[in-house]
Amino acid sequence: MVISPVHYIVAPLLAAFAIPLLTKLYKDAARLVPGIVLFYNVVISFELMQQVLKNGIINEVIAGWKPPWGINLVLTPFTAFLTTMVSVLGFTIWLYGFRFKRTLKGGVVKYYEILQMMMIAGSIGVIITGDLFNMFVFIEIVGITAYSLTAFYRERNGAEAGFKYLLIGSLASTFLLLAILIIYTQTGTLNMAQIAERMGSVPQSMKITALIFFLIALGIEAEMFPLNAWAPDAYEQAPSPTSATFAAVVSIAGVYALVRVLFTLFDVSGVHNYLIVMGFITMLVAEIAAITQKNLKRMLAYSSIGQVGLVLIAFGIGSKLAVFGAIFLMLNHAVIKSLLFMTGSYFIYNSDDKRLVGLNGMHKQLPYVSALFSLAAFAIVGFPPFSGFWSKFYILISASNQKMMYLIIGILLVTIIELVYYLRAVGRIYFAKEEMDDVAHKPSLNALVAMSFLALFIIIVGIYPDIITGYLSDAASSLLDKMHYVQQILGSK
Amino acid sequence: MRKYIAFLLIAILGWTLATTFKAIPFGADRRGDLDHPDKVAAFYLKESPEVLQTANSITAIVVNFRGFDTLGEVTVLFLAATGLASILYRRKEEDVEVERVRLPSSGLVRTGAKILFPLMLLLGIYVFIHGHLTPGGGFQGGAIIATGFLLMLITYKHFETNHNVMVWLESLAGLAFVAVGLYGLFVYGSFLHNTKSVGTLNDLISGGLIPLIYIFIGIKVGTELTNILYILLKIKKS
Repeated sequence: MVISPVHYIVAPLLAAFAIPLLTKLYKDAARLVPGIVLFYNVVISFELMQQVLKNGIINEVIAGWKPPWGINLVLTPFTAFLTTMVSVLGFTIWLYGFRFKRTLKGGVVKYYEILQMMMIAGSIGVIITGDLFNMFVFIEIVGITAYSLTAFYRERNGAEAGFKYLLIGSLASTFLLLAILIIYTQTGTLNMAQIAERMGSVPQSMKITALIFFLIALGIEAEMFPLNAWAPDAYEQAPSPTSATFAAVVSIAGVYALVRVLFTLFDVSGVHNYLIVMGFITMLVAEIAAITQKNLKRMLAYSSIGQVGLVLIAFGIGSKLAVFGAIFLMLNHAVIKSLLFMTGSYFIYNSDDKRLVGLNGMHKQLPYVSALFSLAAFAIVGFPPFSGFWSKFYILISASNQKMMYLIIGILLVTIIELVYYLRAVGRIYFAKEEMDDVAHKPSLNALVAMSFLALFIIIVGIYPDIITGYLSDAASSLLDKMHYVQQILGSK
Repeated sequence: MRKYIAFLLIAILGWTLATTFKAIPFGADRRGDLDHPDKVAAFYLKESPEVLQTANSITAIVVNFRGFDTLGEVTVLFLAATGLASILYRRKEEDVEVERVRLPSSGLVRTGAKILFPLMLLLGIYVFIHGHLTPGGGFQGGAIIATGFLLMLITYKHFETNHNVMVWLESLAGLAFVAVGLYGLFVYGSFLHNTKSVGTLNDLISGGLIPLIYIFIGIKVGTELTNILYILLKIKKS
């Protein structure tokens, strides 16, 4: 059997439809089957990435209709890198959450696992599709699963967060659909490569309206200011593996969608400056909000938004080095933030209000988890020798190449804010005077393996960044080379 | 103050939408050259009777040209049902006694519902079996079937269907849809690829795998919407 990108979607779909039946035959099927599927995705993602790097862009045709007539799935070095990253993290999060909350009664686990798996599959779909409307469908899949998982614990705050997310997510879908509609009436096609080709003949006013609608819709998905009010609540209320998925998978897919639309579809000047300005405001507001939080998961959520802001700034700078730094930062954000959510949730496992005070003196009860949390905290702020250092370093260098001195000062100032609240959290774990008498929940073996894997990655990439910079640089040039993308997709007509 | 800002924003949005869509002529023919299509609409109109042997072009678009989107939409519905179940399911475990309607319906309504119910199911099945020939299809047929169940649910206090049968039907229909797609992948090398058509255009048996897929969609949508109704229609017993 030849593997192809469609397997990323078909395998989870088969599993999702089959799980209700399989649980009737074998009780633990709902826990195991998603793991098998996600592992399969990891295996094929490595294989496909090798193929892409060796033979160039993979363009898979669905239903036998070549682009632009049918739907196509595209793996460029950029999307192949992101799918590999999302697949690996998706599997790691599954491994971590495998025995999470064993107390959940049997029937509910089935729903949880289906939704969690499909959220990851949907995000991969957003990344690999070459068709604008198909991207909308996958964004819907991610949205529906994310709303349900946010409200999963069925308490008042969870329901409120889920409902808020549902409302603003539906708003995003509406604007996205309107934008796609405008593009379709003007170009008569939905294939992204052909839209890019025909964009030149679209009237300027239509282009701007469509662009604004895209920015609103995908800005909501990518957690860009001022459309990210849903995010802290959703991150806080969702089960911890889901919060990690929001940071590592869903926000990556959102940023990807925004970047793909802005870089490939549109040729409007000024968008890049908009990204820099909005990215900076996003980062500044989020980090200032993070410093005032008393709740650990909320703090991490605001920090996530801040990281996404920095990613947007880097994409806004737009030089090859900056895009390279942006993709590097996406990778670091996904890995480090999921490790923070994974470890952090053990500190507050038994506390009802998840407050930061719960961290006090936790290193005595959870020495290993505390060490991992501190490592991740240092890495995300950007201390050498961890991987977070390199991404920030490359972004700053690219900003200085473009002579954007104010931007560099701004980013460094925000980093100080970031440093303050992460060090405060680490300080609570190790040096707090008054201690809480919460009994910590001991992590199970599978969770330890998952967390250690991520920590190891942070250290290895921090010391030898060369092992991934090759992939990153291919990814960055493939995103910037729009002509090549269009030719590869439409050339096979 | 907030109210005025909201009004202002809505006014700006309305104005933008109005000016944008005014510039797109309504009902104008924008298909372009039908014989040498360069827009997808013209291509679909040309190819669906010729190559796919499907009389209803919309069905050809929904099930074949953009079948992958349809699979996605079926999944959205499935996930919506799953999400609802995950949030509302636990009432049963919490031993809250539930009922579906407070007041029993009159004899007239009950008798009428009993007569209408099988007819509605029949209409639903008709609509999705003829999806490639007449307006309508899997989604519409499924919705009609679910409406039939809704009628029974709000008329009778104790109307139950066999939950197991519903779960099996729903799962198997979904798996069958994906399996048809995989058949295309293995035989023709492209997911959801249609087979060579048997029968003639406009006959019940035409269009290759398209009618088959629409039947699976019809069953899946019907059972799923019915499941959603079962989950939603629960009131705490007073």
